[in-house]
Amino acid sequence: MSDSIISTMDLTKRFEDLVAVDHLNLNIEDGEIFGLLGPNGAGKTTTVLMLTTVIKPTEGNAVVGGFDVKRQPDDVRRLIGICFQEPKILWVSNSWDVLNWHAKVCGLSTQERKTRVKDVLESLNMWSHRQKKVHGLSGGMRKRIEIAKVLIQRPKIAFIDEPTAQIDVIGKHKIWNMIRELRDAGSTIILATNELYEADILSDRVAIMHKGRLMVCDTPKTLKDSIPGGDSVEIQLEKEVTKNVLEKLKAFHEVVDVVNIDPNRLRAYLNNVEEVVPDIMKLFLRSRMPVKSIHVSEPSLDDVFVHYTGLTIEAAEQEGPARRHK
Amino acid sequence: MVVPELADVYFEYYVAGVVIMMLYSTSVFIGYDIFEEAEHGVFEYLLSLPVSRRELVLGRSIGGGIRSFIFIGPIVAITLFVIGLATGMSITIAVGLKSGDRFDILMGVLNAFIIRLSTTMYPQVFVQDASQLYAALTTINPVTFASDLFRWGVGIEKYLTIAPMPLAPILGLTAFFFAFTFVGVTVYEKRLEGGGWQ
Repeated sequence: MSDSIISTMDLTKRFEDLVAVDHLNLNIEDGEIFGLLGPNGAGKTTTVLMLTTVIKPTEGNAVVGGFDVKRQPDDVRRLIGICFQEPKILWVSNSWDVLNWHAKVCGLSTQERKTRVKDVLESLNMWSHRQKKVHGLSGGMRKRIEIAKVLIQRPKIAFIDEPTAQIDVIGKHKIWNMIRELRDAGSTIILATNELYEADILSDRVAIMHKGRLMVCDTPKTLKDSIPGGDSVEIQLEKEVTKNVLEKLKAFHEVVDVVNIDPNRLRAYLNNVEEVVPDIMKLFLRSRMPVKSIHVSEPSLDDVFVHYTGLTIEAAEQEGPARRHK
Repeated sequence: MVVPELADVYFEYYVAGVVIMMLYSTSVFIGYDIFEEAEHGVFEYLLSLPVSRRELVLGRSIGGGIRSFIFIGPIVAITLFVIGLATGMSITIAVGLKSGDRFDILMGVLNAFIIRLSTTMYPQVFVQDASQLYAALTTINPVTFASDLFRWGVGIEKYLTIAPMPLAPILGLTAFFFAFTFVGVTVYEKRLEGGGWQ
């Protein structure tokens, strides 16, 4: 892929008998928000650490921004910024010093530093806490400081690991908007998360990982549409549904299954719900069966995860990472 | 054995030795800092910053040096040499080991040898009495270089080990400084580039 800013070629990391990442092949395009999705232990963080040159691959390789992670790690590090899953902060410092020092190491001028640190701290509602020692802050506040590093740095490639863990709902929305703004300003964002909703609303494309392996990678919509009969429509009728109508409904090409919940209510599992619903409505109208209510639902990324792994994300988390047989 | 001439100056000799030991010990703390950083995860953060591993090690060495210098006070210019030497050694050992306990033990043993096989606390005449080999080792010990240079600097010139002063100890310390900094950078790069500490 010519627009790829990151490519991995059979990228693998083993820790003794534990296979954290197993022959991962990915292409991440310039300027996109790329979601790395999976339960804890899926290999997301290890992938991020390899792509950021913090740890070395056991096998395979990756090219980040045109530079080889094994042979040109210094060049890779000049392009990237990371928000770690667990805040990595110099605990004796206050918020302002932590961010100012980070910005300084990343090469920002004094004036630029002051402006950006102030702007980001204000946006994250942390300005009034800027002089407090980091070890005295709550978990959510520390996480805000961690993500502030990347937002201040504005790197060409930003790796953001669980950006909203421990953060309240209002804070989450604020951070999601700031991540989108970062992308719009020209950064490529790799978002590692186990929050399916977060990945769904933020990512241009999503890669689902399980036991260190890539299960599937595409846009959230394509992934959802890839589940046969993943959409559903629940229809409440004013009178009992007839056998004839039921047969006609089942005859739709997109309809996979129809279940009678009660005599006046049915649920159809189908594909491309938004395209079929008008035809379904026409069918009921022509059959003189007035519709009382209709509820349409599309699959979520949870359903996509279940479809491709056979497990819910909670069950996958309990299974843990893959181990090699000795 | 009592050496009357030495008894007169031993207090000064001892105080000078204590200063050098303090200097040495504070410089060695950098190794403990590395373990603390690994424990708190700050290590990963430092490794992800847009600086080379070489700059990182030199920064840590110089940072450790300045801290020691502040702790001990502006004694003499040799401080920076001692610091460079001890922090380089400490970084090398810290990143070479994966366990803080092992680091503790190894540093304890090393410190015992380094301090005892130097003239920090005892003049070489005493060491010579114990063993010719030990006495020979004191003459190539960087802590002896630092002690001699410090004593020469503050005018306690009786029982100096190294000659000619001050050139020989300065050269010795410089050689050790560069050697350990080089080893520190090399080991740090090899062990840490790519998560060797994990």
